[in-house]
Amino acid sequence: MSYERDVMDKVQKGEVIPDRLDVNLIKYLWEASPISFGTKVNYHDFFKKISVLNSFSDNEIRIFTKFLHRREFVSNEVIFRQSDSGYGFYFIFDGSVDVYANHLNSNSDDIGDHIIKLEKRQYFGEMGLLEDFNRRSATVVSHEHTILLGIFKPDLERMLEMHPVVGAKFLRETALIMANRMGQMTREIMSLKRKIKELEQRI
Amino acid sequence: MHRNLKIKLVLFFVFLMAGLIFALLFPRLTLPFGFAYIVFLMAKPLTVLLTTGSVRQRVFYFSLLVLGIIFSLLPLFAAFYNLDTDFGKFAEQLPEIERKLQDKYFIFKVYIFERFGYRLNIDPVSFLVKKVETSGVLLLAQIPDFLSSFFEWLLLVPMFLYFFFFQSKKFGQKFLQAIPNSIFEKTYVLFSQFNTKFGEYIIAKFIEATILGTIITIGLLIVGFPYPFILGFVAGVTNILPYIGPVLGVIPAIVIGFLSNDPNVAMLGMAMVFLIANLMDMVLVFPLLVSKVVDLNPIIVVVSVIVGGQLGGVVGMIVIIPFIAFFKLLFQEIYKDLSVQL
Repeated sequence: MSYERDVMDKVQKGEVIPDRLDVNLIKYLWEASPISFGTKVNYHDFFKKISVLNSFSDNEIRIFTKFLHRREFVSNEVIFRQSDSGYGFYFIFDGSVDVYANHLNSNSDDIGDHIIKLEKRQYFGEMGLLEDFNRRSATVVSHEHTILLGIFKPDLERMLEMHPVVGAKFLRETALIMANRMGQMTREIMSLKRKIKELEQRI
Repeated sequence: MHRNLKIKLVLFFVFLMAGLIFALLFPRLTLPFGFAYIVFLMAKPLTVLLTTGSVRQRVFYFSLLVLGIIFSLLPLFAAFYNLDTDFGKFAEQLPEIERKLQDKYFIFKVYIFERFGYRLNIDPVSFLVKKVETSGVLLLAQIPDFLSSFFEWLLLVPMFLYFFFFQSKKFGQKFLQAIPNSIFEKTYVLFSQFNTKFGEYIIAKFIEATILGTIITIGLLIVGFPYPFILGFVAGVTNILPYIGPVLGVIPAIVIGFLSNDPNVAMLGMAMVFLIANLMDMVLVFPLLVSKVVDLNPIIVVVSVIVGGQLGGVVGMIVIIPFIAFFKLLFQEIYKDLSVQL
């Protein structure tokens, strides 16, 4: 039986589920092995299919999962609001989330326009992990019953202290995510500038 | 917010308040619990050093730890043995000290009378000596109470230590699980920062006090000043208190130096030792160990130490600093949130 199935059983029985993903080593290795025909969704498979963690070995993923928190959100529950202080980076393990941004007034109660829906295996909030005094740039709301795996600043510090290689690799991958996002933003700004210029010429 | 989420939030705060009230109502449990927690926080960095890194690094740190324990226990035993002897000598010499103090006070009285024509009728020396004697008697009367609480601690502290080392992980997970999602990030980060600050501060002050106490003891032994172990011990312990500590630590040495046969020579040697030790502390030990942990304004530190002393005696004076550092962080967070909302 897989760790995830254990958790689902506990949920059905109404038992308390641990906050941390503390999968037993033997169990983890068995589930990660190619001869295991257990349930398709386990943490190993989950992280193996996330592109930014491609460079992680099986054992490094196992170490990485020990620093994650499992948080459950009911449908339409606010995960964080725009301009809240941000400290964590979340992976969507199950369910989906909606991202909203209020471009006019980030401090008003109105959550603003729907920007994107993020599905399973996607991630968000990476700036909160790296930036000092980070402010969330959007509001994220669970679309349905959602399970998120989050890593927060103190966990990253502990990981760097206890497993420097895994910590450095994770930091590199997070920096890559941010670099990709910045590249995307630069392209968008260029395209917007081009459009403004075209409009100006027309006028 | 969903109704269930609101109930969870309210229940969490009720649970926290209940825990706080319980801690305040039962200090006999809270104090050993707090002490065990401090020991656990101090041992935590050691466990990281001994469980991570290559085999060679682990062997190196383990050997360093064993050597450290041996080298710190030997002088500690010597210090405690000599402390006893020093205290014995001090008790024997109390009448002699009283006589010398009376002589000095008489000279002072004559000086005041000749200079200002005013006759001093008070007798502070007898009052002081009586005070020291009665405190000694009171201390003896308190021994049974002290012993009973000592045995209580002997039972409770290992029990709480077992809990922190072997059960706290599970308890911590349950506690984190109970934190509502809406306040999870902030609570978790602040709680982690408090733990780190508290642990680092206690370790830093402990090492600083040991280094300063050792330097002063060795220095006083070299210059041949009386009671080097008591004075080194007192200077080390008082040094835990920031800013006020070094001043408090030197007062007994000044009194003893003043009563010695050749006060000027003794005072000069003692002053040199305290000056060098405190300079080494300020220039080397404090910047390397303590300054990065406590980033507080000196005035706030002094006021906090006084308030801490008023609330919880010597223990309050020591633990108030990391608490103030934590509250500074907390207020910074609240201020940041408010400034965004405005």
